[in-house]
Amino acid sequence: MASPALIEQLDFAIDALMAKPERALPQVDPAVMPLLMVAAELRSLPRRTFKTQLKADLLERAVAPAMRVIPMERPAARIATQAQVLPTLFGAGYGSYAVQGRNFAASFVAHVVVIALIATSGLWVTTHQQPMHEQVTALIAPTLSDYTPLSANANDRTGGGGGGGDRDKFNAPQGRLPKFALDQFTPPAMVIRNDHAKLTMEPTVVVPPQIQVPNSSAANLGDPLSRIFGPPSNGTGSGGGIGDGSGGGIGSGRGPGVGPGWGGGIGGGAYRVGGGVSAPRAVFAPDPEYSEEARKAKYQGTVVLWVVVGPDGRPHDVRIQRTLGMGLDEKAIAAVRTWKFAPALKDGQPVAVQINIEVSFRLY
Amino acid sequence: MRAQETNEQNDERLLIEAAKRDPGRFADLYESNFERVYAYIAGRVRDRDMAQDLTAEVFQQALANIGHFEWRGVPFMAWLMRIASNAIADRWQRNAKEPPLPDDPPEEEGTDDQIERRAMLSELVDALPPDQRHVVLRRFVDQRSIREIAHELQRSEGAIKQLQFRALQTLRMNLRSTRNG
Repeated sequence: MASPALIEQLDFAIDALMAKPERALPQVDPAVMPLLMVAAELRSLPRRTFKTQLKADLLERAVAPAMRVIPMERPAARIATQAQVLPTLFGAGYGSYAVQGRNFAASFVAHVVVIALIATSGLWVTTHQQPMHEQVTALIAPTLSDYTPLSANANDRTGGGGGGGDRDKFNAPQGRLPKFALDQFTPPAMVIRNDHAKLTMEPTVVVPPQIQVPNSSAANLGDPLSRIFGPPSNGTGSGGGIGDGSGGGIGSGRGPGVGPGWGGGIGGGAYRVGGGVSAPRAVFAPDPEYSEEARKAKYQGTVVLWVVVGPDGRPHDVRIQRTLGMGLDEKAIAAVRTWKFAPALKDGQPVAVQINIEVSFRLY
Repeated sequence: MRAQETNEQNDERLLIEAAKRDPGRFADLYESNFERVYAYIAGRVRDRDMAQDLTAEVFQQALANIGHFEWRGVPFMAWLMRIASNAIADRWQRNAKEPPLPDDPPEEEGTDDQIERRAMLSELVDALPPDQRHVVLRRFVDQRSIREIAHELQRSEGAIKQLQFRALQTLRMNLRSTRNG
């Protein structure tokens, strides 16, 4: 039976041991020290429930992986590569992806359609390239002028005109026409400036001789269309001849012909295509630009211009026959003014002709 | 003696094979090795909470890797010790910012006798008479005072101190007898 003193000493030492476990064992009676050493070892005993709790936890962990073992027993599915997992056309080589054949069919059809569209779009552009670049330039035979042609052959269509003058202060008075001829050596004149010409020739105007026009019965030469019966005058024009035009003819036109018009002849205006007059051929015809306003408005249409193509192949007197607006008329005129033609020919000679030009504006 | 060791090795091998086939059988290996594993860890870290954490970690790793264990005649406990040693080293490495106190250095790796002694001590506590075992567990595991235990058991503090004294005496005697036996 232990003495109460030893029991108290042991309990006191145990209290110290439990309070400061990091310290060394306290000094006690040699009879108590072995018991104190056992007490020191008891401090590290696990809690009473630890062992059972850990066992239960381990059993739970042991069972849980066992339940997950099922997919692990299918190594083919677990270690399948990505290529094997992806669906294939015939459903082989995979194990976890359901293939639907309709998807492949739809994909195939979609690819075929897209490829066909790409191919045909290129073909369409190729085949429609020419019309896109063609700016329609139609040469249209003009209508008859105000002048009535008087020809031996009713089917002959004539045209042209002429004018002249020597820059007199007065307009040319009325008078008769000179002789018609295909060539002109001397322009007509009412006032003879050179009274002592060494070689005199009968004045003519360049009008086909077979053409017959009503002529004045006046004794002197003059402009039959003039309403003036005043003092003799060659007119305010230039280049010889009579009238207020230019070029050695009679009237208000330009050229050696008679009346308003161009390049000889009679009937008004320029020659018209047909009746021995060939059509001019455009040799340089750049496309007109689109006006910014019309481009923004996506405005399309056709401008018809009235143009006289002179013997020099240049366009003259460009006028708007049919307007389009939105700045396209101006663009058409600007473009046509730069054009060059192989001039119209009459009897092998270049003559001025009047033509209509259609300038089409299209947005492609 | 050698025949007995051979039989124990065969039994352990069978337990390992059974646990490899069925992780649910790992409980047998756990029961037969828990005390020594805990004793080994507790002898090195001294802190009960850390010892319990490390013990749990060791057995969890053992359970997770039991399939990789190859029987080469070495006791299963050696494998657990190696896991425990690595776990302790990892824990100290993680807790490098909290070095152990200078006067509380980690114990050197205990000898097999020390480990066996600690492991046996736990079993001997379970073998104590109920009142003594209750006092020992409440006093040293739950760290209760004599007064609290006396109040729980409705006994005097002197009686509790005497139970404590006798329990320690019993444990010491059983330890000596077991080691000598």
